[in-house]
Amino acid sequence: MSVFEKLQRIMAATLEVPTNAISESSAMDAIEEWDSLGHVHIMVALEQAFDLYMDVDDFAKLDSVPAILQYLESESVS
Amino acid sequence: MKISDAQFDKLLDVQSAQELKSFLAQRRMVPSLPQANTLRQHLGDLQKNLKKIRLGIVHTYTSELLDPWLLFSAALNELDLDIYHAPYGVTLQAAEANSGLVKHSPDVTLLLLTKEDLHPAFQTPPAGIKLADRQEVDNQFQRTVHGLVAALRDKLTGQLIVTILPSPASPGLGMYDDMAESSETLWWSQTKACLANRFRTQFSGVGLLDLDQLVMQIGRDSFFDSRLWYSSTFPFTSQGALAVSNAVTSTAASQHLTKAKVIALDADNTLWGGVIGEDGINGIALGKEYPGRAFVDFQKRLLSLQQRGFLLVLCSKNNPDDLNEVLVDHPHQVLKNEHFAAQRVNWLPKPDNLASLAEELNLGLDSFIFVDDSDHECSAVRHSLKEVLVVQVPSRPTEIPGCLDAVARLEITALTTEDLEKTAMYSQERQRKSQLEALTETGSSIDDYLLSLNMKMTVGLNDLSHLSRLSQLTQKTNQFNLTTRRYSEQDLAEKIGDKNIFVYHFSLEDNFGDSGIVGLAIIEGDSGKKAQLDTFLMSCRVIGRQAEQAFLHTILRDLQDKGVEALSAEYIPTRKNVLVQSFLPDNGFNITVDGSGDLSLAGSPIHTDNAFPIIIEGSLLQ
Repeated sequence: MSVFEKLQRIMAATLEVPTNAISESSAMDAIEEWDSLGHVHIMVALEQAFDLYMDVDDFAKLDSVPAILQYLESESVS
Repeated sequence: MKISDAQFDKLLDVQSAQELKSFLAQRRMVPSLPQANTLRQHLGDLQKNLKKIRLGIVHTYTSELLDPWLLFSAALNELDLDIYHAPYGVTLQAAEANSGLVKHSPDVTLLLLTKEDLHPAFQTPPAGIKLADRQEVDNQFQRTVHGLVAALRDKLTGQLIVTILPSPASPGLGMYDDMAESSETLWWSQTKACLANRFRTQFSGVGLLDLDQLVMQIGRDSFFDSRLWYSSTFPFTSQGALAVSNAVTSTAASQHLTKAKVIALDADNTLWGGVIGEDGINGIALGKEYPGRAFVDFQKRLLSLQQRGFLLVLCSKNNPDDLNEVLVDHPHQVLKNEHFAAQRVNWLPKPDNLASLAEELNLGLDSFIFVDDSDHECSAVRHSLKEVLVVQVPSRPTEIPGCLDAVARLEITALTTEDLEKTAMYSQERQRKSQLEALTETGSSIDDYLLSLNMKMTVGLNDLSHLSRLSQLTQKTNQFNLTTRRYSEQDLAEKIGDKNIFVYHFSLEDNFGDSGIVGLAIIEGDSGKKAQLDTFLMSCRVIGRQAEQAFLHTILRDLQDKGVEALSAEYIPTRKNVLVQSFLPDNGFNITVDGSGDLSLAGSPIHTDNAFPIIIEGSLLQ
């Protein structure tokens, strides 16, 4: 499974939306469930699923799937 | 512990919430947020028509982030939660008649408060508050909480659960705190004890949920997440959020699910390791070494449950003598014969034994929890007695002592005198039975038997001091119950406060002991001369002693004295109350076409003296 596919499943389960609602270009304001609360949930889910310890300062920057994928790459998640 | 992908796939095979719950609890597994959501959806597909609970949350920190954990935990407890979050902040607006919270009419209201918001002194380090000033700070703090709770209690009918967020930091004095005269920990535990005492004595249906206990269980570092606190004003890690949610939903569940009353225990590999019939009294694992010490601990927990008011019964395939030898002679056996309300030690199928235990104790099988290590016995009981909750004892001894910890139906929200003495009452009942058998053998009648008991009934009216027992009677009584209406302590307090409503109760004493409060009747009058029998119930432990007639007649006489001329009543049939289907016509009520009963009280005065083999006493008769 690619990192995107894994991310897609995690985000879909976290926001409780169908998997195909999350695309490689999805961004925070385009998905209704991805509001500010949903965003905190996604951050928590990323940490748990990818074994990360994230910096609060990164939370706000990770507001789209491309930004999250780039972050995961920089954290050497494969 | 985290749940790996492989373990998670296995979890998705579970077939019941109970199974999933004990699995997670025994392995101390904490699902990730997406895992929790997925498991909840899986449970949602398995269980339909869950009991719906309306939860209201009053909060001074972000509470919405708790939602997925509350919903997950509710699903584990077989509840369907409808959550409403009041606007942020602790103000009395939430308690106004048209507030969103009041309109939501919550069954359970959760208060998430912080010390800082309740008293300004806590906004600076508590170590800085002088010892001499503490009393005053404390008084104001208590008054603020009291005022808030009183305002909510006034408008909300459900249960209130109050939490105060523990400090995320260790005490200002560090490791020295416990030794210091100005110990913060000591101060805080005294404050909590005062609050709990206030809630218990001055309110009904209000409980303090001590989050410090959860912090102790999982550790401060695992409970608090400073990043979420500083960025989103949400204090908890996922593990912390789940712990809080579990505490809240199991409290709610204990109020709204059928209460467990009986724990039916297997013996071999449940109360001790090994098989008594094969290993002998010296060969079973029970004692100071591993694995025997785990079984000793499990027995201690069972004893504590017995002291909380649950009945323990034995249901074991063994030779009675072998088993009795352990109960009487084994130096490390904690549970003795006197702790078991009944025993079935034989070679009959366990479902048959459970059914006969239910009959002996006069309790429904849905109040039974069956605890056994064997796959075969567990599935036999699951298969033939669907109403019994089955808990399979884990195969690892280290997991056994905690195996009942996660059973919400074993949570209690109040402890009554009757709970503490229940097992003794059942043993008195056995003595009564042998007296009856002895008398019948000599040719005496049932009336002689009843007279020989020297029964004395005490009838009381509108007595707030027994609120928790009275509410418990409405919650637990299924068989001798005309209308099966369930009332919370709060509901009953309101009825007692209403001058047109009369809440009667009785207790019954005889040669063998005191049954405690075992009967309740609620009469709703209007200001005129008619009244309605809203509730008439009696605990099954006093069935067959004419107590119900004596109680009814005492009430009728009192209503006559109050000027009531007609009483109407109804029988609402349920699966369990066939016992009382002819109670109304048997007691002189005229049954009308719609099935309800009417009784005229306008005629000659009702006499209770010598009408029953019972002496009747009580304040309302003087």
